[in-house]
Amino acid sequence: MQEIRATIAIVRHHMGRRFALDFAMQFVIVGAIGYVFAHNFGTLYPVLLCGALAATNAAERAHAASLRHVSFFAMPLFGRQLARAHAIAPVLGALAIPFGYATGSALRGVPLGAQTITLLVVAAIVAVLVALSSVFRDGVRAALYVGIAIGAVATIALSALVPEHGLEIALTLAAVEGFFALRAFGETLARYDPIPV
Amino acid sequence: MIAIRACGASFASGGEDIVAPFDLVVQRGDIVLFAQPTPRAASIAARMCAGIVKPTTGSVYVGDYETRLQPPQAKRLVGFVDVDGFDGDAHAFRNETAFRADVWGVDARAAHARAEKVFAALGNGDDRHKRYARAIALALVPDVIALVLDQPSRRIFDRVRAFAPLPAIVRTRVGAVATPDPIPELAPAAI
Repeated sequence: MQEIRATIAIVRHHMGRRFALDFAMQFVIVGAIGYVFAHNFGTLYPVLLCGALAATNAAERAHAASLRHVSFFAMPLFGRQLARAHAIAPVLGALAIPFGYATGSALRGVPLGAQTITLLVVAAIVAVLVALSSVFRDGVRAALYVGIAIGAVATIALSALVPEHGLEIALTLAAVEGFFALRAFGETLARYDPIPV
Repeated sequence: MIAIRACGASFASGGEDIVAPFDLVVQRGDIVLFAQPTPRAASIAARMCAGIVKPTTGSVYVGDYETRLQPPQAKRLVGFVDVDGFDGDAHAFRNETAFRADVWGVDARAAHARAEKVFAALGNGDDRHKRYARAIALALVPDVIALVLDQPSRRIFDRVRAFAPLPAIVRTRVGAVATPDPIPELAPAAI
């Protein structure tokens, strides 16, 4: 019960005015992209686009600096508990990307099917969960995690192209990748030492 | 009752020894000064005592809990005050108090009252002083057995000492390290 109270507190802490502004900005920008390019893109490109945007957004350096604040590491939580709490707000924030794209596309008169929207949402979530591990790393290692996130999204997008059971395969793959990504983020948090530079 | 105990604890990073091995026993009610040669080493030593940074060698215990193996239990018992204090206005301070009350699982109203009381007792001073006083008030939101102060000013430290009753206090500062052991600064009975 206490863990849930702490998790809700951390999520609320992350979801302030800045979060709402970021959400709105992403929704509008990706909506504009969807409006302009929807009629040219099939299924594969929007999934890759949403995944890549979600990954780069989750790995953003200002976000990384805020998550590294020493006060989070003074809290009486295990790394995995902190990882779950830290992941919820970015995942919710990343939903602006697929829904923004879907809205832009619909406004252009090319509405996306339920299957494509599901893939976009799943791709954005997996991309965020993988890319979050980059926030406790710097330089090439941080960039590597963004690359891994985009690679994970590519596997989801490609598996969705399999005839007949493409969506099922993609969702299963996403569940596995998301699970291990969150576990890896918990491990990263547990091992990270917030030392001053 | 032992609040903080360290056995051969040290910290190294990138092949550089930053905090030399130290032993430390802080009883409840003790005030201990812990000198380190650089501000960075002092901050890391303070974070080690608070269970936030894991020692490279040796062990640190808060109460009965080893900070590497049982970090949540250890962190629940210790309040940590960063060298920069709490960077926020009165509104942010109230929000942070509520946030900490939720995370530590204490009553929010009581936490507010306590934090305001501590800040009122400590906060009269310039901006830096107020930032540090707010951080102390936030660190004391839960019931802690030890308070770790990272490089406090002499002025605020004197006020903290007068603010009885207090748990054990470990205070870091930058200075020559004569021995690897910390220097007891004040007897418990003097608080």
